[in-house]
Amino acid sequence: MTQQLILNGTIAGCFYALIALGFTIIYRTIKFFHFAHGVVFAAGAYFAYTFFILFGINPLISFLLSIALASLLGIAIDRFVYCPLRKNSAPNLVYLITSFGIFIFLQNLLQLIFGAQILTLRTGLIKEGHHFLGAVITDIQILIIVVSFILFFLTWLFIKKLKLGKAVRAVSDDPIGARVVGINSEKVILAAFAIGSALAGVAGILVSLETNIEPTMGFNAILKGITASIIGGIGSIPGALFGGLFLGLAENLGIWKIQAGWKDAIAFAILIIFLLLRPSGIMGVKTKKEQI
Amino acid sequence: MEYLIHILIITGIYIILTLSLNLIVGFTGLAVLGHIAFAAIGAYTSSLLALHFGLSPWIGVLVGAILASFIGIIIGFPSLRLKEDYLALATFGLGIIVYSIAKNWVSLTRGPMGLPGIPAFSVFGYEISSGWSYLILVSAFVFLTYLAIRNITHSPFGRVLQGIREDEIATLAMGKDVNKYKLIVFIVGAFFAGIAGSLYAHYITFIDPSSFTPMESIAVLLMVVFGGMASLKGSFIGASILVIFPEILRFLGMPSSVAAPLRQMIYGLLLAILMILRPQGLLGRFRFK
Repeated sequence: MTQQLILNGTIAGCFYALIALGFTIIYRTIKFFHFAHGVVFAAGAYFAYTFFILFGINPLISFLLSIALASLLGIAIDRFVYCPLRKNSAPNLVYLITSFGIFIFLQNLLQLIFGAQILTLRTGLIKEGHHFLGAVITDIQILIIVVSFILFFLTWLFIKKLKLGKAVRAVSDDPIGARVVGINSEKVILAAFAIGSALAGVAGILVSLETNIEPTMGFNAILKGITASIIGGIGSIPGALFGGLFLGLAENLGIWKIQAGWKDAIAFAILIIFLLLRPSGIMGVKTKKEQI
Repeated sequence: MEYLIHILIITGIYIILTLSLNLIVGFTGLAVLGHIAFAAIGAYTSSLLALHFGLSPWIGVLVGAILASFIGIIIGFPSLRLKEDYLALATFGLGIIVYSIAKNWVSLTRGPMGLPGIPAFSVFGYEISSGWSYLILVSAFVFLTYLAIRNITHSPFGRVLQGIREDEIATLAMGKDVNKYKLIVFIVGAFFAGIAGSLYAHYITFIDPSSFTPMESIAVLLMVVFGGMASLKGSFIGASILVIFPEILRFLGMPSSVAAPLRQMIYGLLLAILMILRPQGLLGRFRFK
């Protein structure tokens, strides 16, 4: 029983961590809560549904296409919505509210096109999982864990080693200083949105392989993603992984003693506790009181 | 006609919510995204008191509003130290926790099944259940809310609030206890939101968690921003337009599977466009800084 809960928590944690990872990379360059990230995640799942189930295209090609489209959607949100706001030098709160607006708009657009019913990417029979240390794990779940960790490693390499990754860090630390040394911050923001949104697309596809697709799936996902990144320390890549796993395990071990319906309440209670006691998260750099 | 009156009553309830949120968001500049949670507390309190103890809705409204403001203190006290988007996130999380409690504490709230048969208001044995009489009752409450918020914002107290909004550190330097002011604003806002919730419950006579979803808080915020930040007239206009406008979609003969998402889409798009083009709203005087 405990082993199964730990496994379920780990898998949920991988999802949260992937969403938190994309969110974190975007957050590093723009410094506000890109709430519409959740709808990019949902759109990734719907793109995959369109190509794979409706058009019947080969899964690998349709998934790659969906990830590319999710990435483009993220870029489009930045270009058409956030860019005009940057020109007005709008405050953070305006960004957050705008982001909410775009989220609501796109989520309901998905509902209008595909309907409110639950869809699935799974075809064929459900196979019995493998028994592993007293828990049952399916092939898809193994895939989820492996893909998540590979993506984490690649993103970490990108941020630490690549020139573009260094530029992301430079813009994150000091936007004006970065501009002085000739870094085009608009290009860096574009790259962050492209990579972050592609990660959201991957997460969307993985979630819909494991569970279902519905228009409102992005809402829960982004809330958990933001919570995970705040727990881990917002803007930190190992923090996103750690926060996601922590949140997934806390939720799933929590329902061992409490009813399953309370999952969300547990997650947000943790969020509020962290916001009040340690807003910089477990791995984050301690922020100055002014910035909180 | 019945239908028109119904829409007006709902508009009135939303005006109370919008006015009270405008006090918090527009006049004081605090980003609160969980306003509907206080309405939920008010609605459930007065409904449960009326159903289990046969308490008159008049007392229920008051108890509900007081409980909402009490919860406002508990939540406000720690979370008002947070700034901008962190406060927005914390209050949004709070809205989800209250929604989750309404949905999962089945022994108290009956969860998703909701509470049916909530008794109506009555005056000297005459029952105010629907139609004109309820419209008059709601209008009276709207007027009371308007008076209260107008008096608060036009007083020296209100000027301190605007000081907090414009420059918190300067206000602190003037010797004003900023946190105390914020807390009072939170309490007053929660109080009136609680009243709005009770009015809704005793009018519809049935409540369930789906009336108090976190998205509803965003809708109320949109009403504030659309009508105008820190503008009382704006709140009337914002709430009226955004409640009445989606009803027009119904007259165009759209099925609800299209009309419901379309309404939300328009809300979302409107919110984004407003923020880009006119962040202070139609009649607003203040922008977020």
